Amino acid sequence: MHYDLIVIGAGPAGYLGAERATESGMETLLIEKNKLGGVCLNVGCIPSKTLLNSAKIFDKALHGEKYGIEVDGIKLTHGKVIERKNKVVHALVSGVRAALEKKNIDYKEGEAHIIGINENGYLVELEDQKYSAEKLLIATGSKPIIPEINGLKESIKNEFVLTNSEILSLAEVPDKLTIIGGGVIGLEMASYYNSAGSDVTVIEMLNHIGGNIDEDISNILLENYIQKGISFELEAKVIGFDFKNNEIIYEKDDDEKRIKSDKSLLSIGRKPVLENLGLENIGVEVENGHIKVDETGKTNLPGVYAAGDVNGKSLLAHTAYREAEVCVNNMVGKKDYMRYKAVPQVLYTDPEVVSIGETIKTAKEKNIDFEVKQLPMMYSGRYVAETENKSGICKILIDNKHKTLLGLHMISHNASEIIYGAGIMIENELRLKEIKEIIFPHPTVSEIIRETIFEF
Amino acid sequence: MAEALQMPRQGLSVESSFLTKWHKEIGDEIKEGDLLITFETDKSTFDMEAEIEGVLLAKFFEEGEEVAVLTNIGAVGEVGEDYEDLKPQELIEEDIKSEEETKKIVDKKRTQVSVEDEVEEIKYKKPEVKEDVFKISPRAIKLSEKNSIFHEMAIPTGPEGRIIERDIQKLIDEGPVFTPAALKAYKNMKDKPSKDSLTGTGLGGKITIKDLQITQEKSEEKIMAGELVIPENIEYEEVEMSNIRKNIAKAMHDSLQTTAQLTLNTSFDASSILKYRKKIKAFKEELELSNITLNSMILYAVAKTLLDHEQLNAHLVDNRLHIYKHVQLGMAVDTERGLMVPTIFDADLKSLNTIGKESLKLAKKCQEGSINPDYLKGASFTITNLGSLDIESFTPVINPPQIGILGVNTIEYKIKKNTEGEFVEYPAMGLSLTIDHQAIDGAPAARFLKDLSNNLEKFELMLSK
Repeated sequence: MHYDLIVIGAGPAGYLGAERATESGMETLLIEKNKLGGVCLNVGCIPSKTLLNSAKIFDKALHGEKYGIEVDGIKLTHGKVIERKNKVVHALVSGVRAALEKKNIDYKEGEAHIIGINENGYLVELEDQKYSAEKLLIATGSKPIIPEINGLKESIKNEFVLTNSEILSLAEVPDKLTIIGGGVIGLEMASYYNSAGSDVTVIEMLNHIGGNIDEDISNILLENYIQKGISFELEAKVIGFDFKNNEIIYEKDDDEKRIKSDKSLLSIGRKPVLENLGLENIGVEVENGHIKVDETGKTNLPGVYAAGDVNGKSLLAHTAYREAEVCVNNMVGKKDYMRYKAVPQVLYTDPEVVSIGETIKTAKEKNIDFEVKQLPMMYSGRYVAETENKSGICKILIDNKHKTLLGLHMISHNASEIIYGAGIMIENELRLKEIKEIIFPHPTVSEIIRETIFEF
Repeated sequence: MAEALQMPRQGLSVESSFLTKWHKEIGDEIKEGDLLITFETDKSTFDMEAEIEGVLLAKFFEEGEEVAVLTNIGAVGEVGEDYEDLKPQELIEEDIKSEEETKKIVDKKRTQVSVEDEVEEIKYKKPEVKEDVFKISPRAIKLSEKNSIFHEMAIPTGPEGRIIERDIQKLIDEGPVFTPAALKAYKNMKDKPSKDSLTGTGLGGKITIKDLQITQEKSEEKIMAGELVIPENIEYEEVEMSNIRKNIAKAMHDSLQTTAQLTLNTSFDASSILKYRKKIKAFKEELELSNITLNSMILYAVAKTLLDHEQLNAHLVDNRLHIYKHVQLGMAVDTERGLMVPTIFDADLKSLNTIGKESLKLAKKCQEGSINPDYLKGASFTITNLGSLDIESFTPVINPPQIGILGVNTIEYKIKKNTEGEFVEYPAMGLSLTIDHQAIDGAPAARFLKDLSNNLEKFELMLSK
């Protein structure tokens, strides 16, 4: 069978890429080896948000007395939460499936191998069938990094150590949960299982949590988590697993320590899925474990593109969407370029943390001449009306040379729904004077952006 | 009653100053001692502090305007107080004039309101648009401003090569369209990359700041790779010359245009002045002497020598020589703002210690920018010293109507034959004298140099004269 395009991987980059390509008139084949929707829909963004929302409702009710709401005998039934999550995932995956059908996109499940190139284009083998296409979109995504640590393999095997997939489907809430890695996934799961009743400890190698987020916000977040009763072991390095005793062995302050728990989540990072794909058969250039692409998403080979986590750039579903569109646009001859300077990052904790553009640290590293202003979230009337949490902040960086928005960082409820507005400002290179002319709805949490902008 | 702020008089000879900065906005509270304005005379910069208190009610002049001294520049008082009376007369006249002009335009509009194009013409006569430079309809201007368009990129299709709305619309549809920040950056670029060399990689193909940088980098990359290319954009920064710099420029240019300059170079044995300086240093505190530098010793020696060569201590004005009775000694001072030349008046009457003190004080004031402008004129002869910057010889430029300027150079070591016929090494300090050959010939100028060198070589003897 011959196609215009074969898409390998049906996560956000893959299924959206296939849809866009078909809309542009390309005959497209979409291949997935695990589940339609990829990590995002099945074991990532969506299911975790379902769990976190249940935790949020539970926490609201539990601490309702601050808002004049008192409820007796509330409880979080983990089983029902998981059940609902499965329903949500099912509904959304069905939605994607329906969209593919409606657009007449050929969708096949199985493991695809790129086997070579002939006069018809690139050759892909799937379950002994050969397919050819002029163009390829590689969107195989990423998987958890499993480092070589003593006892880790055995611990995964006996289900003491879990990854993002399993943790979202645990039948029972573990009494004691240890999370290795205080990044996005680790913190979100810490938040849910803490609400669900686990005694949670997070072990983090760095001296702060939340990865690259703003330093002040990272500290506020840590404070919030500690108040919830989550324990942290910062600057701690896991050196082994005692799988017989469900113990994690780690080094902190030059001491060797052990922590015993019922379950453990390994969330130290993710890496592109490249194995068994047959990239070497056509000579796709791989660099530091990811496929190397240019600003149009193209690899070193004509017609071969890569989008999503597999290119190692941003590892976020929303980046993947856009990358896939850039790839497809260029395939059909429409000039389009991938820009990474306004990729929003969100921690769906409660309150949420959002970050877009440069942080103080990255701006300094890039020698950008910038100015920074910060306001407490209490400057937003809506914020004060809706939350008793007084620790939120909004921080804005402005490029001194061009007077454009360089970065925005915020910790507040509703932040994830607001941040795209800052993205528009950055993408359009609006200057302070233009941003100041924008009308924000009142009263909303988003007004904090306007307030902070007027500090300049 | 509101009170007026006046442009201060800085030195008797200054008639007007440039208002370079307002430090307060209208409506700001003003306390005694607050910094109000910064202003510049042709040679110095000054700050003016508030002597009255109240609210700044009005500014009669904008930054950058030249204001006659003692003119009211603003009004201070209580909010709501009337300050019309304080307004300088010339401004009131201007106001009336511009009101009349507006009225005229409105009248014209009324009579021709049926001809739409004519109305556009009138509206278009805003001062910021020079119609003779670029023909564009006001509607097209408006549309291009709204859409971050650089309207000069449009291909005009209107009558007489005029850019009209549809030409701008075409640019919006087909590009290039800039982001607001990129448009500003592009407008500021001196050598703008051509329309075709720009690739828009922003939202919807908009040209971003990065795209402008990349166009530049591309050609840099090629140049570094050794390719022969004509760069898209030869980068430089345009900096407005300060008023001080402009004055120097004019003076230097006039000097070379109006005089016949000739430079003579010589050197003298600096052993004597070096030795004397050492001695002074040792007894400085004991005798309460000022910090006497080599330069002040040369100033002193010139002051003492010059009266024997009166043609050099003179001004040439309309074929007449103004020969000065005393030495009005200008000394060039290098400052952040540019070259300044304060005068040591009647230098021939002053002791070495006084000249030492005075020269340091004047240099300091120049560097701080607080020199009284009256000190910056009146010199009959000038000394300029580049010795500390290792210059061995140069051609100083005369400050007309003066007739001579002496450049002082660094010390080099030379060999000479002593009285026993042996070659000995000695420290030689260079002197470069520029004269106006219109007023004096080479030989008398050389004689002055010879006398000066003699005096410097026997410095202590000269002191006892």
